[in-house]
Amino acid sequence: MSNKKKVFLVIGIIFTVEFIISLFGEYDMSQIAAPFAKIHTVFGVKIPFNGINISTVLNTWLIMAVVIAGSYFFTRRLTPIPGRLQAIAETYVSAFDTLCTEVLGKKRGRKFLPFVATLFIFVLLSNWVGVIPSFWHVVDGVFPHWLAIEEPTRDLNTTLGFGIMCFFVAHISGIYVRGFKGYVAEYFVTMPYDKGFNGGNIGKFIFNMFMGLLNIVGEIGKTISHSFRLFGNILGGAIIMVVICNLIRFIVLPVFLNGFFGLFVGAVQAFVFTMLALVYVSVMVNE
Amino acid sequence: MELTGAEIIKAAAMIGAGICMGFGAIGPGIGEGFAAGKACEGVAREPENANLITRTMLIGQAVSESTGIYSLVIALLMLFVIK
Repeated sequence: MSNKKKVFLVIGIIFTVEFIISLFGEYDMSQIAAPFAKIHTVFGVKIPFNGINISTVLNTWLIMAVVIAGSYFFTRRLTPIPGRLQAIAETYVSAFDTLCTEVLGKKRGRKFLPFVATLFIFVLLSNWVGVIPSFWHVVDGVFPHWLAIEEPTRDLNTTLGFGIMCFFVAHISGIYVRGFKGYVAEYFVTMPYDKGFNGGNIGKFIFNMFMGLLNIVGEIGKTISHSFRLFGNILGGAIIMVVICNLIRFIVLPVFLNGFFGLFVGAVQAFVFTMLALVYVSVMVNE
Repeated sequence: MELTGAEIIKAAAMIGAGICMGFGAIGPGIGEGFAAGKACEGVAREPENANLITRTMLIGQAVSESTGIYSLVIALLMLFVIK
């Protein structure tokens, strides 16, 4: 049996299991509103900020474990003539190396390669993990609901965290490259000042301050749209899946819905998220 | 049958969510279609740059999609948060 056939067999088995499991139960429509089980106290101690989304935390840990174990096993025995696992890892890294060096240049691209590549694999696995069937998701009362495998990126906390992380990476590297003065001037000196003190400079100062405020709002908006895009796409896909699954009583179509919204949209959105992070960094870093 | 205030608010939120999503989907639909069409032209003219053009198209579409995502989030707020 060829490798291609094996891959299709695995995907087919996953989809079949998902289909069979979905026959047994029925998604509760009201669960969409509160998909994330929360805990408010640990050993009697109250958690600040309104509790923890325990299911998001557990799924994030699951993906972290998969990524760490994968990076260990894929690079365990490095040889000049790569084996299968090493070839996969090399393809992945070299693809992102090309991407980074194209956008950021040879020297800086290498510095941002680990950040970008890790971000992509993490977001990709986060988006894809929802395809894995988890029967406790459907059958009520067998397992606690917070054990369900669902996408961590369906929670705004995760994506907003990523967005804020990208914001700080971009801006700190901007300060590092341009110096603090140049970094501030980027926002607050839209029109360069003349020499000396005159009326024209005062007008320019007022204009520059106004433009600076607009620039700051624009930066905040960038981060918000960056994180809301991923969140909205994944959550919207999940809601559409639940609604259509309920309409057609789980006959055959959920497989293709999972294929489209889970695998395709997940991959595209992970790529877009990573590329936008890279573009934001390159805007701050490149002259 | 008497309508209470809470029911009227819920109904208004449902209608609002529908209107929000319907109008919010117009802009991104037009924008993404335009981007895809231009990318098709670009690929037809220079097939050797197809990878770069596709990548740029995806980024541009994702950016123009954000208004649609905003309206989706607002619609979800109206559906699930307003009691």
